[in-house]
Amino acid sequence: MIDFIDYLLGGISSGAIIALMALALVLVWRSTRVVNFAQLGQAMFTTYIALTVRELTGSWFLGLIIAMAAGLVVGVIVHFLVIRPVKRLDTSGAIIATFGVLIALEALAAMVWGGDPEAFPPPINNSGYEAFGRIWPFSPYDLLVLASVVFLVLALSVVFTRTNVGLAMRASAFNPEVARLSGVRVNRMLALGWAIAGLVGAVAGVLVAPLSTLSPTSFDIFLVFAFTAAVIGGLDSLVGAVAFGIGTGLVIALVSGYSDSSNAPLVALVLLVLNLLFKPEGVFSHHKARAV
Amino acid sequence: MEALVQRFPGARLGVNAVTALVIWGLLTWVNQVIEPLMSYYLATAAMYATAMFGMTILLGLSGQVSLGNGALMAVGGYIFALTSMNWQTVPILGTPWNAVWSMVFAGFGGVVFGAAIGGIAARLRGPYLAGLTLGIAVGVPAIANRFPELLGGENGLMLQVPYPAGGYTSGDTSDEAVDDGGEVPLDEEPVYEELPDDFGDFDEEFTDEFGDELDSDPGDLSDEDLLTEDDLLSEDDFLSDDDFLTDEDFTTEDGFEAGIDEEIPEEDLLSEDDFLSDDDFLTDEDFTTEDGFEADIDSDAGADLDAGLDGGSEASEGADITDPAADLDLAGVDAGVDAGFAIEQWQASMAIAVACVVGFIALNLVRGRQGRVWQAVRDDPIAAAVSGISPAGSKISAFVVSSLFAALAGAVFAQILTYVGPGAFTLGLSLSLLVGIVLGGRNSFIGAIIGAVILVWLPEFVLDVSADRGWQNQITNNAPNFIYGLLVVLVVLAAPGGIVGGIQSLAGRLRGQAKSSSSP
Amino acid sequence: MLRIDALSVNYGAVEALKNVSLDVPPGRVTAVIGANGAGKSTLMRTLAGLEKPLAGRVLFNDEDITGSKPEDIVRMGIALVPEGRSTIPDLTVEENLKLGGMWRTHAQRATSLTRVYALFPVLGERRHLGADTLSGGERQQLAIGRALMTGPQALLLDEPSLGLAPLIVTQILELVEHMARDSGLAVLLVEQNAATALRVAKTGIVLNLGEIVKSGPAREIAQDEELRHAYLGY
Repeated sequence: MIDFIDYLLGGISSGAIIALMALALVLVWRSTRVVNFAQLGQAMFTTYIALTVRELTGSWFLGLIIAMAAGLVVGVIVHFLVIRPVKRLDTSGAIIATFGVLIALEALAAMVWGGDPEAFPPPINNSGYEAFGRIWPFSPYDLLVLASVVFLVLALSVVFTRTNVGLAMRASAFNPEVARLSGVRVNRMLALGWAIAGLVGAVAGVLVAPLSTLSPTSFDIFLVFAFTAAVIGGLDSLVGAVAFGIGTGLVIALVSGYSDSSNAPLVALVLLVLNLLFKPEGVFSHHKARAV
Repeated sequence: MEALVQRFPGARLGVNAVTALVIWGLLTWVNQVIEPLMSYYLATAAMYATAMFGMTILLGLSGQVSLGNGALMAVGGYIFALTSMNWQTVPILGTPWNAVWSMVFAGFGGVVFGAAIGGIAARLRGPYLAGLTLGIAVGVPAIANRFPELLGGENGLMLQVPYPAGGYTSGDTSDEAVDDGGEVPLDEEPVYEELPDDFGDFDEEFTDEFGDELDSDPGDLSDEDLLTEDDLLSEDDFLSDDDFLTDEDFTTEDGFEAGIDEEIPEEDLLSEDDFLSDDDFLTDEDFTTEDGFEADIDSDAGADLDAGLDGGSEASEGADITDPAADLDLAGVDAGVDAGFAIEQWQASMAIAVACVVGFIALNLVRGRQGRVWQAVRDDPIAAAVSGISPAGSKISAFVVSSLFAALAGAVFAQILTYVGPGAFTLGLSLSLLVGIVLGGRNSFIGAIIGAVILVWLPEFVLDVSADRGWQNQITNNAPNFIYGLLVVLVVLAAPGGIVGGIQSLAGRLRGQAKSSSSP
Repeated sequence: MLRIDALSVNYGAVEALKNVSLDVPPGRVTAVIGANGAGKSTLMRTLAGLEKPLAGRVLFNDEDITGSKPEDIVRMGIALVPEGRSTIPDLTVEENLKLGGMWRTHAQRATSLTRVYALFPVLGERRHLGADTLSGGERQQLAIGRALMTGPQALLLDEPSLGLAPLIVTQILELVEHMARDSGLAVLLVEQNAATALRVAKTGIVLNLGEIVKSGPAREIAQDEELRHAYLGY
């Protein structure tokens, strides 16, 4: 029983980060009906930027801020240079193009920063709190991660539900034509969706890097986790992405805890297959995933 | 031709067979006259082409974006390795085992897995399918870790490749190989198995696959059994590569492991740095840039070998050939350039044969009714369903065929590497296949072949350019992927048909211009 | 106010509109009627900027707006209520309304919102419910309300009667007619249901296969037996 609690506690912060990553995928999907398979490639790239800034200035926080700005910019660039022109052609083209971006970004990062894993130490103490005579697998850094994720999700939900821009973005996602006829500049809103997704991904990258190491391909596995969470959540639902992001993180933590961490990708795969077989439209969405 | 084919239904089969045979003959001849290094490239390209014929059907004809083909190659590779390692006779039939049987079982495994994945995939559209197959590409190699006793875990499995003609030989093959060599007629490729594989090539090949994450442990180099030891070394690389994976997972339980967390990665990094400064790439570079040096070795070893072969009698060439290798060792290079000669030629002839058989099957499928079914479903699933075609069945069959091809390619890959392991069948491999087919042209087998050639050629080209310009290793090693990524985006934007499609539309335009200018 | 001058539009390979000219004056309803496929919707979509014309001009307050983007045209003061009760079911009623006219000042929007709730009280009652909970007629009111939120000088209504009970259609159209008279709104109404449309319209225009075959006072057209048999099919 105490094991169970330990595993769950240990999975919370990674679950929260997976939730952010799934959120980024959902933001892009809602705005342009494209799954951005380069999302975590972008996050990896901005995390390297954060690392560089941190090494130059010694400030983790400044690294985070610059990574967020870079995530915003990269998101907009990818949207305008790749997705908008491709989207007009075909959907499989858009999917392939995002993989092209992923390949290019991973190679570019390896060219600039080298391919070897780099340590990205946590900015604050990452050893577990001590209470009731034992050490719990929950550290001040986990608390920082959790606080950051909660803050970001709350901020986003305020933007989306309480502001005109958020309303315009949601309308542009649901029905671009009606949005245009209402006077919304839809293309800007779509680009803004990519930008915010880039920012969210950047935060996720900086937060997750201390939990593993940073290399050009080290986020590939998180792409699978995030995609799984986003799809189970319905791919359209911000709430679903957050809920199932945390859920996926906890399940992976439990399975890894009781068996072996190398099972994690298989767990994600099994979750994904089960979901696609039995509830392909996701739990939080009424849209169709099935082909026929 | 079309008229002929229409009058004689069997003629299509004949035409396709002749096409495949002509290409096979041509490539076999080429394989005889080119340098061993080129044979190695040829083998790799043929292996890629085999897998990408399946991508042509899956992506081009059936319109499904899949990243699972690298994982399906793993299925084929592991089945090849396991069957050839563990089975002396064919079950039920009881006949002696050989490599062809392993290939058959690998292909069968591909069909089974393909049907399973296709069954799910047929229910999904675009991004869901891509995401699912992405999960497979990442998840399936991890299965090796689930069953470390059977599949070798992170280390993978070494396999004894049944090199010469005369079937698979198990156990210690070194003596037999030499004996066989004596009896093998000259038009068969004799193989000097106990000789060291070309260390330089090997590194290059791994740099292709894994970027500069390659590092080898110099401590283990002292071993005698050179060929297999080299491979073992590369395994170590994978190990460190994947250690990092376990690390990552490990640290998700972060707080739990408390202080350990900070020590382990640091240690890892330190040791890796050490290995890096040791730098295999350096030897590599020296090796490839010092042309004169290489040429000398070439002519020496080549002459010896040729002389021996022309003489046609001596089976004990081994001794003669080890000499230049020894010289090379003195010169600070780990292995002889031409020493692995015959192995590379054998690899190429095996890979070419498989590619041609697969190409023949593919041609028959695509030019026949099945090809039209796939296209019909891709272009308009509803119309196809109305006219009695099952869209799901069509998608599954495309998956099955492409999985069969991928598994066969995986078996070839296993034989080229003499190794299977999670590090050989990464997401990078799946992405490479996607890159190749998109660049070459997703709608034709020629496109698959061109894509395969690009995958092999571009890294070499970059290496040449980098040698001229004096680029850093981390630039050189990653520039090919960077170029691939940019090219994929560009091709999707500007020429969705890839190189073949681009040439076709250009030719069409020129023809159109010629027509309009010639007409009054 | 809104003038269409020799407009031709192709829809794919089909000539959807051929050399169509008409005037939409303020303060009254102008009805374009015709059978299915006469080019009515294409006309509306072109005016709103969703389709690009092949030839001809669209003038609004003597300004050439041909080929402008939809989001710019609506900002100039032309609002389209597209066919099929185009509300966004994932948003609440009030969010659907607030979507219209985001570029306007806070005060302007508040005034418009009050006015829309006054015109369509049912929307006010359900302002916090999802738009998917509304009935067909209420959704049509919501769609019109959203268009009114943009503060239009010209309102384009594309087939508002589609799928609605006759009583509700009459109610909605009479409301629109009052609005035009009271506030000087120019209304262009496109309808397959000619009888109802001509009842509220001042001017009627009959469109057939992309061409205007007849235009004149609505009452005359409504009484033209021959026209009814030939083009309107009732």
